[in-house]
Amino acid sequence: MHSNLVSFIQMLRSHEVRVSPAETLDAVEVAAALGYADRELLRDGLAMTLAKTAEEELIFLQCFERFFKQNLADFTAPEQADSEQADATLSDENTETSDDNFDGSPENALEQAAEDSPALRSLMQGPLMQNLLNNERNELTLAMNQAAQQVDLQQIQMFTQKGQFTRRILDAMGEEQIRRAIIELEQAGNPILPLLQRYRDMLREQVRDYVEREYLLHAEGKTQQFMDEILSKTRLNNIEHVYVGKVQNLIRKMAKKLASQYSRKRKQVKRGQLDMPKTLRKGIPNDGVMFNTYWRQVKKDKPQVLAVCDVSGSVAAYAKFLLLFLYSLQDVLPRVRSFAFSSHLGEVSQYFDDYPVEKAVELVNWKYGGATDYGNSLLDFANLALADISSNTTVIILGDARNNHGDPRLDILQSIYQRSQRVIWLNPESRRSWGTGDSEMLRYQSACHFSAECNNLVHLERIVEQLLKSTR
Amino acid sequence: MHNQDFPQLESVERIEQGFEAHGYVCSRKIATAVFLAFQLRKPVLVEGPPGVGKTELAKTIAVLLDTPLIRLQCYEGLDEAKALYEWKYGKQLLYTQVLKEKLGDLLKGADGLAESVERLHLFGDIFYSEEFLEPRPLLKAMQQEKGAILLIDEVDKSDYEFESLLLEILSEYQVSIPEIGTVKATTSPMVFLTSNNTRDISDALKRRCLHLYIPFPSVELEERIIQTRVPNVQEQLRHQLVAFVHSLRQLDLKKAPAISETIDWARSLLLLHADELDEEIVRSTLNVLLKYEDDIEATDSALRSLLVGEDTSQPGH
Repeated sequence: MHSNLVSFIQMLRSHEVRVSPAETLDAVEVAAALGYADRELLRDGLAMTLAKTAEEELIFLQCFERFFKQNLADFTAPEQADSEQADATLSDENTETSDDNFDGSPENALEQAAEDSPALRSLMQGPLMQNLLNNERNELTLAMNQAAQQVDLQQIQMFTQKGQFTRRILDAMGEEQIRRAIIELEQAGNPILPLLQRYRDMLREQVRDYVEREYLLHAEGKTQQFMDEILSKTRLNNIEHVYVGKVQNLIRKMAKKLASQYSRKRKQVKRGQLDMPKTLRKGIPNDGVMFNTYWRQVKKDKPQVLAVCDVSGSVAAYAKFLLLFLYSLQDVLPRVRSFAFSSHLGEVSQYFDDYPVEKAVELVNWKYGGATDYGNSLLDFANLALADISSNTTVIILGDARNNHGDPRLDILQSIYQRSQRVIWLNPESRRSWGTGDSEMLRYQSACHFSAECNNLVHLERIVEQLLKSTR
Repeated sequence: MHNQDFPQLESVERIEQGFEAHGYVCSRKIATAVFLAFQLRKPVLVEGPPGVGKTELAKTIAVLLDTPLIRLQCYEGLDEAKALYEWKYGKQLLYTQVLKEKLGDLLKGADGLAESVERLHLFGDIFYSEEFLEPRPLLKAMQQEKGAILLIDEVDKSDYEFESLLLEILSEYQVSIPEIGTVKATTSPMVFLTSNNTRDISDALKRRCLHLYIPFPSVELEERIIQTRVPNVQEQLRHQLVAFVHSLRQLDLKKAPAISETIDWARSLLLLHADELDEEIVRSTLNVLLKYEDDIEATDSALRSLLVGEDTSQPGH
């Protein structure tokens, strides 16, 4: 039963419930303490160790239902298979009612036909056909399970593999015979043909259902993870509109991960709380007279982040995601001020205070989009914010540094560079094209503490993580 | 705690019965959580909307097992000195002053500084011993001979740093005090942490706990709760008021009424000698259920339809 529990936990993990090995051990203990007799009790108990949020609990309940229902059917084949194969019964009945068109039972009709055709006769002998004819549902389920094991159905990863696995299971069950017989009958123009076709369709449907169930069990979560992985490596401006929502979810997830890793440190004097140990210690040179008093402190760093985003056509898509990321990190980066520019620059923090992040990003793009002028924009930025830049300010600039051959005003960036803790330049272009054409990147790079190529979510996450490390 | 035999916690059923005898009607899930917490020696993290009986759960267990309940209310800025232990600085200071002369005697005849220090060493760290230690709730819970129920209330209000402080205590039931060493609980306490979900609890803490989510109760359960808590309420009124509260929870309110509010309301209706709900009495007592003026106003306009809907669901009335 332990292996069962472990594969259940595997399934939970693939559905994005994070279960640590320690929790797996707990689950085993819980199962031992509660026993397997009372299903609901076991479910509640496992839920407490394996699902640690209300959302996870919902996922857990779904998975539990699916997983343990499936296994019950496997163990107690004779009774359970009935309900499992309810569909089969249905289609069976259909077949039988339509059989009334023929005289006598389908078996007789087939036997008659078999006398004419040797291929059909040999098929009739096969176990698959016998089972189908006699409506041996248990035997069929068993055969299906065996075939599934034979082709390693548990290894199914992607939804695209469903058809392939269905085919392979059917082959392993010997469906080919039926196919061949149908071809024979077709050529002979035998009236029994539709009956056989119905059997074949029924079988296919059953196997398809079965594969579908197993897919849901083993691979649905994996497909999801695969999708997320692909998305996080795709260039952000290539992400299609339909996936934007998904990407936003991803960003939120990443931001949450980072936020929990780098919760903020504060350093604050607690008025009225004397720090006795320190006061005593500092009094020692004065012969134990506590001359100076010291107060309790808590650490509190308040890093400031200024995000400056180019929102001209070429970079807008990236700016959107960067801003989304920064504002999802509000808990950890308490003071994010954001500026947007193309030909001129303006502060856009207000939008983010007033609207939800997604909406604010749209508004910013709409308001500041246009042709780029870095020199002018830097000048605007200096006027607006240079006075506020101090040794715990991080300035993040996102842009392609393509200045349409205008004056880059490197001197302004240099003064920012000297005052701030860090200047980070994120460039969506690949490093190779830096400095080509009207790109001023190589010059700007000299006045940055850190410059990086940033065009997908993985880059973005890595950079934001660095940022957080430095602001700690 | 876990080392002792507590027949009250023998099985899920017995826990349910024991709770009910002490006026805490609980769902099976809650009883299971308590059972597992006892069996596996694990703390329980209880989450859920305010007023569903999270704190009450710990209190009831303390009564049920007849053990002391040690409560630590969390708030922003809570630190070691408030939660774990503190040195009695005043006492240390006083003693050093008083013992100043004694020290002179002690060091009399010592040859040079090195020998004086040597002699002082012989006396060990007398000023950093248990006598000068002021135990705070967490340490106190470890020191209870017969075990205790430790309730760490509203852990989500505390800082992240405080959570890390809890980790050692919750997994090993021990506290490290640099000056003394490790204090290990003789009988590990049964720990309940409650959270109102104002922020996410860190994964590390969650991993060490059983997770129990208490939602608003179902109609049947809430009726049973009212029955135990306010037994004098007539059955018909009980049906009505629970149904009304449930329909209130469907509305978009700032703060939906919780069980504690339903109980209060039942009590106030009882005081007013109400036999059944009508518009007037509901309107005049609505402030017991709803704690925001906006909520009261929003409900006021929908009151008639809420009460009518209830009548149709009670055809016998």
